[in-house]
Amino acid sequence: MANTEPLNSIDHQHIKIITERSEKYGDNLWYSLTFPAEFRSVQAYYPIFFNKDVNTGEFFAVAMFGFQEKENLFLTNDKWDAPYVPLSVARQPFLIGLQKVNEDGQDKEQRVLHIDVSHPRVNQEQGQALFLEFGGNTPYLDTVADMLEAIHHGMVDSKLFINLLIEYELLEPFTLEIELNDKTQNQMVGFYIISEDKVSELSGEKLAILHAKGYLQAIYMAIASQSNIRGLLNRKNAQLGL
Amino acid sequence: MHKPLRKIVIVGGGSAGWLTAGIIAAEHSTDPNSGIEVTLVESADVAPIGVGEGTWPSMRSTLKKMGICETDFLLECDASFKQGSKFSNWYTNTNEHYYHPFTLPHGFNDTNLAPFWQPYRDKVSFADAVSVQSHLGEHGLAPKQISTAEYDFNANYGYHLDAGKFAGLLQKHCTTKLAVKHIIDHVTQVNSSQTGDIASITTKNHGDIAGDLFIDCTGTSSLLLAKHYGVPFVSTKHILFNDSALAVHVPHPDPDSHIASFTCSTAQTAGWIWDIGLPSRRGVGYTYSSTHITDLDAEKELRDYITPIMGESAAQSAKIRKIAFSPGHRAKFWHKNCVAVGLSAGFIEPLEATALALIELSAKMISEQLPADREAMDLVAKRFNAKFLHRWGNVVDFLKLHYVLSKRTDSEYWRQISDVTQLPDTLKEQLLLWKTQAPYHYDSTHTEEMFPPASFQYILYGMGFITQPSYTKRVDESKKAQILFAENVKHTKQLLSALPSNRELLNKIKLYGLPKI
Repeated sequence: MANTEPLNSIDHQHIKIITERSEKYGDNLWYSLTFPAEFRSVQAYYPIFFNKDVNTGEFFAVAMFGFQEKENLFLTNDKWDAPYVPLSVARQPFLIGLQKVNEDGQDKEQRVLHIDVSHPRVNQEQGQALFLEFGGNTPYLDTVADMLEAIHHGMVDSKLFINLLIEYELLEPFTLEIELNDKTQNQMVGFYIISEDKVSELSGEKLAILHAKGYLQAIYMAIASQSNIRGLLNRKNAQLGL
Repeated sequence: MHKPLRKIVIVGGGSAGWLTAGIIAAEHSTDPNSGIEVTLVESADVAPIGVGEGTWPSMRSTLKKMGICETDFLLECDASFKQGSKFSNWYTNTNEHYYHPFTLPHGFNDTNLAPFWQPYRDKVSFADAVSVQSHLGEHGLAPKQISTAEYDFNANYGYHLDAGKFAGLLQKHCTTKLAVKHIIDHVTQVNSSQTGDIASITTKNHGDIAGDLFIDCTGTSSLLLAKHYGVPFVSTKHILFNDSALAVHVPHPDPDSHIASFTCSTAQTAGWIWDIGLPSRRGVGYTYSSTHITDLDAEKELRDYITPIMGESAAQSAKIRKIAFSPGHRAKFWHKNCVAVGLSAGFIEPLEATALALIELSAKMISEQLPADREAMDLVAKRFNAKFLHRWGNVVDFLKLHYVLSKRTDSEYWRQISDVTQLPDTLKEQLLLWKTQAPYHYDSTHTEEMFPPASFQYILYGMGFITQPSYTKRVDESKKAQILFAENVKHTKQLLSALPSNRELLNKIKLYGLPKI
């Protein structure tokens, strides 16, 4: 169970964060959240699909790492075999929490950096320190804070992006037929992709709206990312020695 | 070339008028130059009757075709999911019940499971053995998840809804999205042409409104078909006795109360009580035969029913509305250039919620067979009349089936209504056949039958009917049947753990809406 606390330099002064990538730190992820501002970096290595939150039915974009639960084909020998790790993975064990503050007599919600102290990356011996010996943040902590800000704004933007995709009927469910080198066949269902055909049928007016919001690029990045399915398959074959 | 049909005038609002308007206007272009024009005239003085709070699964495709967002519909019409009907005390009046779910028996298209279930009849009910849905009913679960796209399902469903709010939503959709013209005025006169067609209707404030086709959605007053044309009424009171209803709104004990997604129908001394769960309240009513029970005694039975839900004093003071009706239908529905849809065409009783379903089917046929001109209209009318006489016959037979299988002898009503010598011939013949063969695909004699053979199975085997096949099959299919039964058990387990309760799902829909895809 996660045990999150607002981060502060007193309780968490001596905490260190292990930044290696490994199954034992929870990196055996099938996929993780991503958002349009990150698509350019993500599409270089990972397929970008869309998925529904089972608790809300809302769509979100995901970077795919494997074909099934707990399968991360980028995780080999305790290394993440790709130059870019999506922010929603890199941010662990930190997250943003909302805190109610009273500012000039008005109740406001403020974003506050939280840490999951029960996360296996959290310890006092090895890894990156959070606070400098005589006060102040380490550069590592500043990077984490920047990441979380980027994720926060990215998710707000992602929602608007996906609402437009739905309104313009650009998302479609798809079944990924997986044939490995030994001819065994499997299917991966439940994900959605942006339909290239439907994008090509968009009116000039809608294209202009998407372009003005910066979403046209994100759409093509997501479409281009589909070619990474091949790379994912190669990794799967290699893992099985096929 | 005859003058093409352009102007359709629907007289009367309510669910019938607005559904018909929506179904026609969603299918046909209403382009001012080449399309049709749909005008709906409704009187502000006439309050819609507002019964018919249950729909069939067909309503999902009806709403989808009209372009209505399911989330909007659910929230604006105070609607919830309906997965079928649960009948209590219909068979022996010993606190027993059975389900008629909307889902077909598992594997129904290639295997008829009924004969294979028969040996286990004392161990498991038919619905429990062949479908997941009666189990969902017992656990109060929804037919889908929040991540299921709108109008899609894990288990087939229709709706329970507030009919008044439904008419309001349809009106808004028809007038803003589908270019239906809405005139609020009172019809004072119907004007004939020389051929006997209706040329126009005269209204109090908008003068004469002319049209090529008039659709009578004026409710039980049947202003055009019955009053103007005098098309006779065919009473079915001698077969299905109910002619009265007492209706009451029952608040939920608390805002998180369980919402049933089956229409609960509980047999009484001289009829039955419906109990329909909406998000904000329950709609409860007693439909009965006024020849067999006094209004006062019926009212007492109704108040007794709602007492455990709302407590003694609230139940005693709850406002009850009385509705009287004549069970039956018109001898024909389309006469000259006038066709009746809804109560103006007929009404038998609320059992199995056929009223809204018949409206959908009527409007669908009018729309899909919309005559190109006046000459084609007589042919379409002839087909329409044949089709709907058959359908009303089906309704009568199917509803009567629920009664004739009863073993209740505790009142004159039940003794008379279950009398096998007083059956329509069509039903008599079917019952004879079903003694030796379970209902299956041959029992659908027409296209788009109202009731699939599966529905006959659920009622027959829910009420203890025994089919004894007289031949032995050369190929033993029992292995295949066992596999289907086992699959149903597995599927049931999966759904019981995956589906939320109706209340949970409706609360989530309020927060997030259902996904479009």
